[in-house]
Amino acid sequence: MTTPERAPAPGPSVEPGSGEAGPPREAPQSGPPAALPAPREPPTEDGWHRLHPLTPLVRGWKVVAAMLVVVGQQRGGELVDAGLPSRQEALFSLGLLFGVAVLAGVYAVLAWRRARYRVDAEALQLQTGVLFRQERQARLDRLQAVDVVRPLLGRFLGLAELKLEVAGGRGSGVRLSLLREHEAQELRNTLLARAAGVAYEGELAPQAPEHEILAVPVARSVESLLRSGTTLTLGGALVAVVVAVVVTGQAAVLAAVIPILLGLISATWHRFTTTFGFRVATSPDGIRLHHGLLTTRSQTVPPGRVQAVRVSQPLLWRGRDWWQLQVNVAGYEGRGNGEEGQADENVLLTVGSRAEALRVLHLAVPALSPDDAGPVSAGLTGRGPEGGFVPAPRSSRWVDPVGWRRHGVQVLDHALLLRRGALGRQLDVVPHARTQSLALTQGPLQRRLSLVTFVVHSTRGPVTPTVEHLAPDVARRLLDQQAARARTARGAAGDADHGRWMVGR
Amino acid sequence: MTRVAGTDPFQPDDVTWRPVSDRLALARRIIAAVLCGAVAVLCLVLGTLAGPAWLDLGAVAALGVLVWVWWLTGRQVAALGYAEREDDLLVRKGVSFRSVVVVPYGRMQFVDVQAGPLARRLGFASVQLHTASPGTDASIPGLVPDEAARLRDRLARLGEARLAGL
Repeated sequence: MTTPERAPAPGPSVEPGSGEAGPPREAPQSGPPAALPAPREPPTEDGWHRLHPLTPLVRGWKVVAAMLVVVGQQRGGELVDAGLPSRQEALFSLGLLFGVAVLAGVYAVLAWRRARYRVDAEALQLQTGVLFRQERQARLDRLQAVDVVRPLLGRFLGLAELKLEVAGGRGSGVRLSLLREHEAQELRNTLLARAAGVAYEGELAPQAPEHEILAVPVARSVESLLRSGTTLTLGGALVAVVVAVVVTGQAAVLAAVIPILLGLISATWHRFTTTFGFRVATSPDGIRLHHGLLTTRSQTVPPGRVQAVRVSQPLLWRGRDWWQLQVNVAGYEGRGNGEEGQADENVLLTVGSRAEALRVLHLAVPALSPDDAGPVSAGLTGRGPEGGFVPAPRSSRWVDPVGWRRHGVQVLDHALLLRRGALGRQLDVVPHARTQSLALTQGPLQRRLSLVTFVVHSTRGPVTPTVEHLAPDVARRLLDQQAARARTARGAAGDADHGRWMVGR
Repeated sequence: MTRVAGTDPFQPDDVTWRPVSDRLALARRIIAAVLCGAVAVLCLVLGTLAGPAWLDLGAVAALGVLVWVWWLTGRQVAALGYAEREDDLLVRKGVSFRSVVVVPYGRMQFVDVQAGPLARRLGFASVQLHTASPGTDASIPGLVPDEAARLRDRLARLGEARLAGL
């Protein structure tokens, strides 16, 4: 299947699927550079490929840098207090550092030598591990998303990481780190084409044409950050510090809050760099997202992979009528992973006007018809029974005096809308076909007021669709009917299996 | 199905709930008794040997907690129930914080059957259903082993027959 020779450049003779309606795949528009790309790492045997030989350098460098930071933190204070260490001690420390660096380097080289990957018609296989060998096989028909990530150092060297997410729970994805940039893109195209069931000639799949929907201007991005809760906290903290210093007359208060300030600033900076230059595009392979200032990320979420969408608006975005979109995709792990960039992969739109947000929402949930615009708008800003929502009964004001009018639910033909939040507004959209399971819950207070909370279980991610404080009969009817609707929607032709999305188009 | 049966969504009339085994209550009570007993004995010993006299009250409190847990366990276990409908499984639980979960068979990813040492001795096991959502809390504790095995096999069969991807 794959041979050491380079493939001919993908030409316009390529067959698009088998269909007539589907947009044809053409020669790449913005894909690999026009110049002849450097040859791929030659496959060792049976189509196995190595990762890029600079991988150990990039990875080993991280270890050494982390170590330097730790040593710096440990010894920095002593240096200030006690002055420069003796020559002997300095030599010893340097030797130790060097030794660890060499060890890390050797390990990284070994890890590189042992890592290899292969793509066949069914799956992407990756073998890794020095002492404990691991062989992972990601089935392409279970593919949920493909990301190409370019870390800062990798960008200088023209390297990129390819992440393939499959529906398998925590940590089930495959990371190919690092590949040449064009190689990562070609591989992504190949994986998507094979998962979509596109027939193509030659060794390399052509890049699916991309159509840009919107780009978030930097100025708006910055303003949206300034209007966020973090900035509010930051401003409040600064005022508190100034007041404290003035009142107590002691500058020592400053030292106590500096770590908190640094934390807030670094969080804001992180958010700024990861969402910088956010662009949303469509392609036959699904939604494409491009973003990042230092580490850049190109995400591809194929059709039907979106499990749930949350449209939300923090309090301070109201004046601008700006909205944010978050998404649950199986494989994307959502918040709380701690790894850099993890929390950002669930963002579908960092900040956009209402029209833009609705446009992206329709892209993500194609099941929404244009007729649903009214209900969706009512879900964004409406209160009470506006736009056909079933609101929470009046008795719920005892448990939620501020937001009770916003709690509401509406069933559309193909999706469920769940609305909440009076200050910061939220609307969750769950396609019926993507409902995992349902639940009703009731606490003692709710029981006294005769209220029930309705919960839809979605895959792991930032969107947790819930409506609190519904009337019992409404909740009961929802539970029964929604279970039936989810079943019918899943049974509908073509929805049961979204693998091979280009076949039969 | 669209008929709204009764006013209480947690006690629908058109669903026949199957209760779980009483042995679960027994097991939970044994654990509570051992823990509370240990605390009571510790309080008594310390109070008699060294500590202040109010430590004896701790023993009384521990016994009080035991009585409360004893009573609560009975109600909790009685509130547990499951129902196998044609297309989905219903699991309900809770006395003051009540919940009912509906898991469509086609959404099940895998089924766990677990039994700890005490559960094995008393003769029961718990069955837990997993979907692609981490939020699905559908565990049925306290099934007699035959019933657990039957349920597991039936769920696996139905899940396979109706598997609907994600």
